[in-house]
Amino acid sequence: MLKIENLTKIYEDGTVALKDVSFTVEEGEFLVVIGLSGSGKSTLLRCINRLIDPTEGKIIWNDIDITEASEGDLRRIRRSIGMIFQQFNLVDRSSVMTNVLTGRCGYVNPIWSLINYFPRKDRERALNALERVGIPDKADNRADALSGGQKQRVGIARALMQEPKMLLADEPVASLDPVLAHSILGYLEKLNQEDAITVLCSLHYLDLVQRYATRVIGLREGRIIYEGSRDDIRQLTDEQFKQIYGEEAQRLNVGPEDF
Amino acid sequence: MTELIDPAPKVRSYLQSFLSLLIPGLGQAVAGAISRGLIILASILTFSGLTIWTAAQRPRFPDYGLTARAFLILLGETAALLLFIIAAYYLVTRTVARKPTTRAAVQTGFIILGILLIALAQQSLLNTALSADDQSNVYGITLVFGAALTAAMWLWNISDAGWVREDDAPSMNGLVFLSLAALIILGSRVTQVDLPKAVREYRDTEIILRQIVWPWEAAFVYEENNVEAEAKIQAPCPPGATGPEVNEPKDKGPWVVVSPTCGDLSERGTMGAIDFGTELTITGGGFVPGQTVNIRWENPIGNAFKPRGFGDTEIPASGEGTFETKLFIPDATISSTAQGDQIHRLIAIQTGEREFTGKLSQDMKLALQQMLVTIMMGMMATLVGVVLSIPLSFLSARNLMGSLKSTLQAFVGGVFGLVAGAWLGSMIAGLIASALGGLEKYPLLTFGSYIIFVLGGALLFYRLAGASLDWLGKRALPAVVARLITIIGLAAVGATIGYGLGIGFSYGIFSITHTAEFAEEMAPRTGAIGAAVGALLIAYYGYRRQPTDEITTGNFIYVIVRVTLNIIRSIEPLIWAIIGIIWVGPGPFAGFIALTIHTIAALGKLYSEAIESIDPGPIEAVQSTGADRLQTIRYAVVPQILPPFIAFTIYRWDINVRLSTIIGLVGGGGIGFLLIQWIRLFQYEQAGIAVWLITITVAALDFVSAEIRGRFV
Repeated sequence: MLKIENLTKIYEDGTVALKDVSFTVEEGEFLVVIGLSGSGKSTLLRCINRLIDPTEGKIIWNDIDITEASEGDLRRIRRSIGMIFQQFNLVDRSSVMTNVLTGRCGYVNPIWSLINYFPRKDRERALNALERVGIPDKADNRADALSGGQKQRVGIARALMQEPKMLLADEPVASLDPVLAHSILGYLEKLNQEDAITVLCSLHYLDLVQRYATRVIGLREGRIIYEGSRDDIRQLTDEQFKQIYGEEAQRLNVGPEDF
Repeated sequence: MTELIDPAPKVRSYLQSFLSLLIPGLGQAVAGAISRGLIILASILTFSGLTIWTAAQRPRFPDYGLTARAFLILLGETAALLLFIIAAYYLVTRTVARKPTTRAAVQTGFIILGILLIALAQQSLLNTALSADDQSNVYGITLVFGAALTAAMWLWNISDAGWVREDDAPSMNGLVFLSLAALIILGSRVTQVDLPKAVREYRDTEIILRQIVWPWEAAFVYEENNVEAEAKIQAPCPPGATGPEVNEPKDKGPWVVVSPTCGDLSERGTMGAIDFGTELTITGGGFVPGQTVNIRWENPIGNAFKPRGFGDTEIPASGEGTFETKLFIPDATISSTAQGDQIHRLIAIQTGEREFTGKLSQDMKLALQQMLVTIMMGMMATLVGVVLSIPLSFLSARNLMGSLKSTLQAFVGGVFGLVAGAWLGSMIAGLIASALGGLEKYPLLTFGSYIIFVLGGALLFYRLAGASLDWLGKRALPAVVARLITIIGLAAVGATIGYGLGIGFSYGIFSITHTAEFAEEMAPRTGAIGAAVGALLIAYYGYRRQPTDEITTGNFIYVIVRVTLNIIRSIEPLIWAIIGIIWVGPGPFAGFIALTIHTIAALGKLYSEAIESIDPGPIEAVQSTGADRLQTIRYAVVPQILPPFIAFTIYRWDINVRLSTIIGLVGGGGIGFLLIQWIRLFQYEQAGIAVWLITITVAALDFVSAEIRGRFV
């Protein structure tokens, strides 16, 4: 269980990205964070694994306060929280295999890993992960030779290598076309349901939110302005959605049945 | 001032024109276009000044007053001339050539006409401005054309002032064009560009140039198939001396017989009259029939020459290959300190055909060897530079260092740990060094152990002391104590820095304003003042913050490393070479040091910029998997920076080889050193070989480096 209490992040230039944000995420939830760009979604997700250090507040995960964790503790916490990104954040010049194997960095012997040596078990695990996301034949390709959808699958495979209890997904489909968006979110849903991985995901499109979320948090200017259960979202009209979201809100208009 | 503007558009303002006639740019400024006016005034002023300055450069002590007066007179005269031409132009375009196309042609024609007229009038213009005597003291052409161009600018400025408005910005193409033309003329004068001289003196250099351009004769050994024989003669002939044994005619091979073999030298009198010595009868045989036999004389110290004026020295051999001639013993100077019998040699020689052996000459071998030294010097400097600049580049990459943070108390503990660790490390390394037997015996090992132990100790203790003070401050000590320790520690750091600055101030400033002794006397006092000020300032900073406040230690390191690299890089390799030569003496090692130092700084900057421009995405992705700092660098940073690193390294190697040839010129060893020696000895063929080798190497390297870089970028 992830409990966030009074989380505030003020950047050095004075921008208030998050203001007094509190919420709880139960295990096995598919929590979607919605909000305009600049509303603090990315900052919120990055505060959870402390890619960004919060200014104030607590993040308690399984009774450990992540904000207080030492460097060593933080690495152990991070390795059980996977993360995928809007821009995939693969190392383009490395092979798919190497990219996936970096997911094991938190587990393996740091010295061996420096010369790109990973145990056989981990290599098998990497192939399995690639198989799970449907691209086992791409292992030896360079990452920049893949298409956008394939890159995000590698991103998921990399996160899988961490054997995560929770997955942070920062706009995972914003750079993909609608069909691919459903495909990628389908994988996340599968992980959520089959492996009981808690998913925290930020999304843009209302129909994707309605289709996948089990709970929704709406952010605006760093504050939570909406919290809704699965049923609440299903009944959300476009007008209400626009109220939370601002005028930029839009539908994707490709249902899962279309692909 | 705006009321002066004529409200109606495009109406000429004669007032503005008049103002600009008096002071260039004034009319424009009055119309509101102040910056335009200023630019025009500045252009005309600087251009006039430059013209006067340049024109006055002929004598050793230029007379600027005289030149300025002449310039002003010429300015008036050429302005009048130009006005006349412009008037003629308007007359022509208004009456005859009214079509735009013909007008353009007429315009061009009049510009050419103007230049021609001024060129033709040059002498008469000069004559009115300067006396014949004074004319020899200035560059007349510069003065005339400078004045003409200034006059043109002035006239243009007057016309421009009539039209200019506050808000519109008419094109200043005219001014730009005139300024550019003026600058080209002045520039060629200042840099003493002299085309006729280049043509005139080319012929004298042709022989040398030919040697440099095609020097390959000097690169090979030739076998000379000469037919030659020699005989020995003793001269002077002391009483009782019989001279060397007389040769016998031979049946086979060339021979020469001289009689007598002992005689007196010719002597040259004061008036050039020659007092001939003993006459020798020379017979020879076994030479190539019909070919000329040359007689050469070699004195006892081995200098050979043709004894001109002492007899026939070029005799055709007979059908049987024999010859006969007579020769006085020439006036070969004998050193007054020479002792014993003085034996000369007479050589009869028929020059045969030179045969190409294909063997490299000594000079060619030397050049090749030094070329190799040069390439190696560049390569070594690059390799060592790369190894040293990579860690520095990580330290001077803002995106990597910005994340290096620590609490204030950890920083204080770390600084003390750093000093203690470095001291401890140097002690251990000193023990090892003395156990090994000093620097001379195992230089690399001793040097290496110093680096490893001092650096390692400093880093280790930095981490240890920092972490422990941080832990103590957070968990064990009362808050007041932790705060006190932090403030005192900061004060100590501030005092040390202040003390150093204070001492530096004394030696740096007082040794100039007073004496070195005074500076030495004052140093402790200024040091103490500096220490007090530094301690107070930084202690106050510590007082204002909490010991647990985070500070970006990475930025300190970033700034220090960056600034140092920038300073080193802005000092040219040639200067470093001179420092290297003072340090280790002339030779390749000095060049290596110079190149290495510059390479470290240059590559450090290029590398760190490459690191700064990487995509931060993969870094956060790898960090989010729980990777530590080294793993993050290995998997997120290294793959991204590898291609630019390789490209920069190859590029730098290319530069270094080119530079090492230049560095050789000032004594840095290698082919450059050889080249400058040969040039100074007027051995242009050998110098040509060096030039060729350098050119070939640089071109080849250029090609190779471009190929390799192309593959990685």
